[in-house]
Amino acid sequence: MAYDDINLAEKSGSLVESQKNYDPRVVLFYFALAAALVFLAGGLAYQQLFLNLSHKDNERMQTQRRVLIPGPRGNILDRNQNILVGNLLRFSVVLYLDELRGEFYREYVRIHNNYIRAGIKKDGPSVADLASLARVSVAQRYLDQINVILHRSEKVETKTLLDHFKTELLLPYTLLDDLSPEDYARLLEHLPVNSPVQVYSKSTRSYPYGSLAAHTLGYVGADDDVSGENFPGKGLRTINMPGTSGVSGLEKQFDDLLQGEAGGSIFRVDPAGYRVDPPLAEQAPKQGKDLVTSLDLDLQLTAESALGDQTGAAVAIDIATGEVLVLASKPDYDLSKFREPGTIADIQAQHAWTNLALNGFWPPGSTFKILTSIAALRQGTITPDVPIVDCEGTTRIGNATFVCENGLVHHGEILLRDAIAQSCDIYFYQAGLLTSPEVVAAEGRRFHLDQPTGIDLPNEGHRMVMPEPGWKAKTVHEPWYPGDTAHMAIGQGFVLVTPLQMACFAASVARNEVYTKPTLLHDPNRPRQHSESIGLTAAQRAALLEGMEGCTLPPHGTARNITENPAFRVPGIRIAGKTGTAQKDVVKDGKRGTINYAWFICFAPIEHPEIAMAVAIEGDTIGESFGGGFHAAPIASAVLKKYFEKKQRGGALFTPPASN
Amino acid sequence: MSLFRFAQAKPFVTLGLVAAVWLVVPAVVKTFTRATFFELTAPVTVAASYARDLQEYWSLRLHSNRELIEAGRDLARLNASYEFSVQQNTEMQAEIARLEELLHIPAYPNYRLEHARVVRRDFSGWWQDIVIRKGKNFGLPVGAPVVFTGGVVGRVTEVHATTAVVELITSPGVRLAGSVEGDTRPFSYQGGENPTFGPPIGVVNYVPLDVAATVAAPKRLVTSGLGGVFPPGLTIGEITSVTLGSDGLSKNGLVKLDDRLGSLTEVTVLVPLAPE
Repeated sequence: MAYDDINLAEKSGSLVESQKNYDPRVVLFYFALAAALVFLAGGLAYQQLFLNLSHKDNERMQTQRRVLIPGPRGNILDRNQNILVGNLLRFSVVLYLDELRGEFYREYVRIHNNYIRAGIKKDGPSVADLASLARVSVAQRYLDQINVILHRSEKVETKTLLDHFKTELLLPYTLLDDLSPEDYARLLEHLPVNSPVQVYSKSTRSYPYGSLAAHTLGYVGADDDVSGENFPGKGLRTINMPGTSGVSGLEKQFDDLLQGEAGGSIFRVDPAGYRVDPPLAEQAPKQGKDLVTSLDLDLQLTAESALGDQTGAAVAIDIATGEVLVLASKPDYDLSKFREPGTIADIQAQHAWTNLALNGFWPPGSTFKILTSIAALRQGTITPDVPIVDCEGTTRIGNATFVCENGLVHHGEILLRDAIAQSCDIYFYQAGLLTSPEVVAAEGRRFHLDQPTGIDLPNEGHRMVMPEPGWKAKTVHEPWYPGDTAHMAIGQGFVLVTPLQMACFAASVARNEVYTKPTLLHDPNRPRQHSESIGLTAAQRAALLEGMEGCTLPPHGTARNITENPAFRVPGIRIAGKTGTAQKDVVKDGKRGTINYAWFICFAPIEHPEIAMAVAIEGDTIGESFGGGFHAAPIASAVLKKYFEKKQRGGALFTPPASN
Repeated sequence: MSLFRFAQAKPFVTLGLVAAVWLVVPAVVKTFTRATFFELTAPVTVAASYARDLQEYWSLRLHSNRELIEAGRDLARLNASYEFSVQQNTEMQAEIARLEELLHIPAYPNYRLEHARVVRRDFSGWWQDIVIRKGKNFGLPVGAPVVFTGGVVGRVTEVHATTAVVELITSPGVRLAGSVEGDTRPFSYQGGENPTFGPPIGVVNYVPLDVAATVAAPKRLVTSGLGGVFPPGLTIGEITSVTLGSDGLSKNGLVKLDDRLGSLTEVTVLVPLAPE
């Protein structure tokens, strides 16, 4: 002991002595040390003062999570505020996994101990497998509680649960979806208020009228990308409940407007990802804005009911503003049954996806004679009071024989009024030939029949054709024959238009203008549309309108049944109309033949036109007698009848009559 | 010195030790201890309630014969009107049973009525729960609905040998499926945050959008009968206001509850005859 003490003293003495001595090498070390300290202090200052915000952000990123809940979509309404597409609460029962940390751990220990007791140590499941087993076991335990309450025997989907645990721990896990009111009520009364299992509500689209205007309204699809633009914490890791976005129709076109504003919460989480209450920020989701369409529920219902199970379309337009009152297409589909199995296959089998009002490209038949008349009148090749042809039922054009109503009718030296009213083909063959295809096509282009209408719906087709010799040479690589002109003059051959285009055409003729821009948005203060005048003299226009009215009147009008038949008659209203029946060669069930397209365009009342319509129906049987006057016109008259009934009752918000 | 300091800190150390031991005691032991304590003190509570009944009895004895005769007459009239209602109910129940059989609809569960006196109510939890003077001795089950003349009182949450605890509908811990009288759509009713002796309120959520209610034109809220606990048509309270929920798909509202829930003396437990 003493020896050690001596040595220490000696050593201590020598150390003290050595520090007293001045050594330049030590000074160098001092400098190095000072430099290192300055470097460290500088680094610390740099980190604390200059990178402070960056570290703060990193810390936030690591410890905070943003949970977004999409806002419900806005409603889609008709022009009278009737709900066409709304939202419905859908109840589900969910499990808040992030509240079960303790239970997961206890279950893990229990399962682990069971393996040990069973003597399985080495070959037992891994820690990760045990943890997964524990999670599934706990979730199943809660689901069993629900099973007891609802008398069911549901099982937890292991993969879904574990995926949810890994990626969406902060979101509730859905145990059962789409609860009935009875199940919902039972769970409300049987589940403890503070249980990790709770009843949860979310919104789903509801369609009070099922298939009404299905193509126009469109539908929504699941969308995992929920925008949280107005919710703080943009840089944070975000987890969101799945939302929806428009897939077709108005739902797609006005998705931004209808889309609700996402709400949610920002939570602090621990390193394992479990929530630390209370939330740092919360914001309730907001419903999207309502979309008021120009559609009229009553008229749409009438049109669809009148169309029945036929293939076709009906369009009605407010003449003054271009607001579309009816946009019906059949066959259609029930939007409220989209989630039912087999629905999509049924829709495909019926070819019901296509909105025929916008994408039914059909030859317009004799309804096109109104355009041919306008072109010829403006060109001066015909005049209302001078006959241009003696209709004997058939005529030779080029090397072919052309007939008028299958050659059964002899109209004689017919004038324009009667030619329109009785739809004399031979008159219009001649009018077309006299006027030239280029002039008729130019008139068609003036009425915008060669291009989409620009209605506010997605996927309006571009396949309309307003043919002329140059077009045929370029597209079909064949010369233009006089027969082509004859076919074109009566709306057959290469001419292709849509029902919506023809409704716009009828509205334009009613306003004595050349262009009607259709819209599906309702604005009670929308100004009257104006475009270039058609350019007919008063006498020419009078003859045209007389011919169109004659079409709906006995004794010879091709659509006379809508005034003769009391069931179709619109009391006290003078209607200007034009029927059309076009043919198309088809092969159906291995049989070649022609099917008919029945058309009817009209506007009413003639004195002060308010509403214009186009109806087109596709025949389904080869060789079937299927005409515009008997098949399409009654559909239009049903809608007109309803329109004027509503107007008389003051129930509809109709636009003031146009003044010509 | 150190011994002196330990003597000073002894109560705190003891308290700490007891708390530490209590923390590690298994839950079963804790539950048993609590139940035992409740059962030990129950006779005192029950005895106090009998004493109160006696006190009431003697105070009633002070009424004059004239007052008693008048009260008896009023009671006879009331009984007559109740008798009439009972007869009507019997007829209606027979009709319901006939229709249920005809339409093959499962019948609503039947209940045995068990009337019980309220024996205790804590000031600290005035709107939380009450203790009634019947328990296992009368076959009361946990979860049974409890009613009084004004409608729903709550449901049984604990059953002891001679007493039971009833959680009141004024408690935020009670939730049930209600509906507006004459409507079948169920929505959630839950007790509100009620201050002691204040007017009792509850809240409703997920109320359909077409339901409107104001203080001047309240809507009667009744049990929907779909939840499986409460029979349909029992009065919960009156919805006095509804506001559009943040989701825009449903409404939330306030429910004014019966003030008599604050002075309950007698309640009826509906004991299911065929429990699920």
